Amino acid sequence: MSIDLSQFTQVFFEEAAEHLANMEALLLALDVEAPDSEDLNAIFRAAHSIKGGSGTFGFGDIAEVTHILETLLDRVRKGELSLTPAMVDAFLATGDVLKALLAQHQGGEPADEAAVQAICARLQALSADPATQSAGVQRYWLECVLSPAIAEDSTAVDNLLAGLAELGTCEIVERPAPGAPRLALWIETAADAAQLREVLCFYAFPEDIRIDAAGDPSAAPSGVTAQHEPYGLFTNAPTEAAATADPGYSFFEMAPGLPLAETTQADAGYGFFDAVPGSPVQAAKTPAVTEGEGYGFFNAAPGAPAPASAESTLAASSVHGRRASDDPLVEISRAGRRQTDKVAVNSAAESSSIRVSVEKVDQLINLVGELVITQAMLAQSASDLDPVQAERLLAGIDLLARNTRDLQEAVMSIRMLPMSMVFSRFPRLVRDLAGKLGKQVELRTIGEATELDKSLIEKITDPLTHLVRNSLDHGIETPERRVAAGKNPKGTLTLKAAHQGGNIVIEVIDDGAGLNREKILAKARERGLLVHDGMSDQEVWQLIFAPGFSTADQVTDVSGRGVGMDVVKKNIEGLGGRVEIESSPGYGTRTIISLPLTLAILDGMSVRVGSETYIVPLTLVVESLQPRPEDIRTIAGDGRVVNIRGEYLPLVSLAEVFNLHGAVTDPARGILMVVEAEDGRAALFVDELLGQHQVVIKSLESNYRKVAGVSGATILGDGRVALILDIAAVTRMGLAINRRQYGRLAA
Amino acid sequence: MEHAVQALAPVASGEYLTFTLGREEYGIDILKVQEIRGYEPPTTIANTPPFLKGVINLRGVIVPIVDMRIKFNLGEPTYDQFTVVIILNIGRRVVGMVVDGVSDVIQLGAETLRPAPEFASTLDTRYILGLGTVGERMIIVVDIERLMSSREMALIETATE
Repeated sequence: MSIDLSQFTQVFFEEAAEHLANMEALLLALDVEAPDSEDLNAIFRAAHSIKGGSGTFGFGDIAEVTHILETLLDRVRKGELSLTPAMVDAFLATGDVLKALLAQHQGGEPADEAAVQAICARLQALSADPATQSAGVQRYWLECVLSPAIAEDSTAVDNLLAGLAELGTCEIVERPAPGAPRLALWIETAADAAQLREVLCFYAFPEDIRIDAAGDPSAAPSGVTAQHEPYGLFTNAPTEAAATADPGYSFFEMAPGLPLAETTQADAGYGFFDAVPGSPVQAAKTPAVTEGEGYGFFNAAPGAPAPASAESTLAASSVHGRRASDDPLVEISRAGRRQTDKVAVNSAAESSSIRVSVEKVDQLINLVGELVITQAMLAQSASDLDPVQAERLLAGIDLLARNTRDLQEAVMSIRMLPMSMVFSRFPRLVRDLAGKLGKQVELRTIGEATELDKSLIEKITDPLTHLVRNSLDHGIETPERRVAAGKNPKGTLTLKAAHQGGNIVIEVIDDGAGLNREKILAKARERGLLVHDGMSDQEVWQLIFAPGFSTADQVTDVSGRGVGMDVVKKNIEGLGGRVEIESSPGYGTRTIISLPLTLAILDGMSVRVGSETYIVPLTLVVESLQPRPEDIRTIAGDGRVVNIRGEYLPLVSLAEVFNLHGAVTDPARGILMVVEAEDGRAALFVDELLGQHQVVIKSLESNYRKVAGVSGATILGDGRVALILDIAAVTRMGLAINRRQYGRLAA
Repeated sequence: MEHAVQALAPVASGEYLTFTLGREEYGIDILKVQEIRGYEPPTTIANTPPFLKGVINLRGVIVPIVDMRIKFNLGEPTYDQFTVVIILNIGRRVVGMVVDGVSDVIQLGAETLRPAPEFASTLDTRYILGLGTVGERMIIVVDIERLMSSREMALIETATE
């Protein structure tokens, strides 16, 4: 009997990706000094689930890596080893390697074999605990000549020594000083020479490094080879077991989760359930049973998926609970957090989610869109009826309107995802980047539960990443500079999301140096941009969105090439959003992105020009007014401007832009709509305002092509099509017409 | 079965929908026709060629409408209750085509199609599959897919030719 496993592999890939994400989130949130055993267990379970699944589906390489990871994690969670930052780093790196391996099995790029080997060695080295196991410790003579620039910098030297101290005990023989770049020391470490080299290679040229293994305290750890063979029945017993000569290790002990201890631990962990009414006792017990079973002989046997899924639910849900409580705004005590964990576990065990393809959801949204239009058409025809005679019909139509609106909201909410989908990727990014830049940064996220349309979530990630990188690189200063400025050496980067009217507002706030007005102005002049000293701060900050603009003194691999801010702005405007910057020198910078909640529905103002109806996105409308004839001025003929409370705005006639006949030509008899365009405001001249409605955005491009000045189309209540204006393009076209006419008159 | 194979042949032969434009009669592959409906004034789009009448709402789908009478320079087009729009399915796109009237559906074998002579007309001979004869009538058989995807119709962003 053979079962085709391939149909399940996709599920495995998805689950494994989820487990990895959970693991990463937990690792980043982990307090290295006092790790929560609940979190350690969750990390362990995630690793274990991946191992079980990969073994089942025959991905030996993944199973091998996870096995080593799991062995180490198991020792940490049992308190045999204490968690160190080096371990967390190694775990995170392992996660990356596993991701690469998963991608490889999904038909992607082959993973880097060397990286896989390196991570295995690194984990094994960490697993060889120097305190309890002297066998793994080597004494090395280490000698190197630092690069002159490093030797000058005492913090760099300190960092290097701290890095070495993390690996083992150092006995410094010769300490580098400015002018004397030689470093010599004895180091007793479980790490191997290659790892020492890795640490040093940031500070010295490889040829200047000499590492000698001197007088091995004992024979080289024989376990290294054995550890490479993850499924050996007996040898698999973590080599350290033999080395520590713990009498408890015997036949069953080889299972990292020894049945006895595990049962008690699990019971202690989940005993909580028993008190919760209607809580699934079965689920609570499962891990206790399966951990004993899953280990032992059947590690890679097809029996694994069942326990894996049971555990995955728990792992996932505890992460969920953790997330909620991570919100800095909600101060929950440790005990309180436990409580939320349990509640989350409970609810997740009962009902969970279903996976539905986005296509199906989109189809549903389209259909509801149709329904909304049909309902609007019905309502319009019914408005002609005699209210007395058609009372019941009209009441029914009212009810239909309400139900349709509710249905539309409910359907739209399916596509809504919490901002934590985006925010969750930043802890890792900030951590890695801060390490690379030698900065201390604390990331705070606020409003992770704020929901946003899925397509927007996908498209906002890149611009946000860019802004975060920018803040880290240019905004937040190095610890020394921060201390000199009288600030906390640890900078804070805040990501904040909130609903504001029909918009979502996402802010990236750093407490760094702020933007330098003089520098930006100088740079802008250098680049030949039109600037003057009287510009408002807001206008100056907008300069950094100019293509190729960078104030960074030096180009780093993080940022500074000046590619980016313009792309950020373009991307966000492409989504119908806006970017603004607030900054004050010495106190930091705040970048504010406001986006519409969804791309499928738009709040619009319908306007009439001649016999045509157009929709103007409401987010771009500042105000509408009827000007007095004396407020309309011309500049050299036809370049018209309007004076609105002392501010002169260019006047853009929609009728001229769209070559419409029969429209009002005297602005004083029409309506001026002040809109936010790309570069400042403009006054859009229309015949009249018809009303404000939510419109379903339809693409013109699916059957036709892109039309200048039009961003899409929608269907009005009477079934007719109305075009949605692309305000930025319309304004540009209008100004071009003005210029042409002005040019003709001048010539 | 045999029929289906024939319909897929490069020079489509089989059933054609014929319609009139002015005093000329045209035929198009019936499999490209989605439906036929009455003319309703479309929403005009500014700065587009005159033959593009605009877009209509076809059950929630935005469909562009082209007037072939303007495209082929066949006199002053009139729009009344007899004006007909043929909704075409071209690739994955939907396009509406205004014609003077739809005549009927005819069978034309490949052997009855005569190549169109080279002549200077607004309709490039590239888009003419051939001339068919049914009794006294001459039917200009048009490769409607090629015509509608052409650059001169400007219906698609990246037109092939």
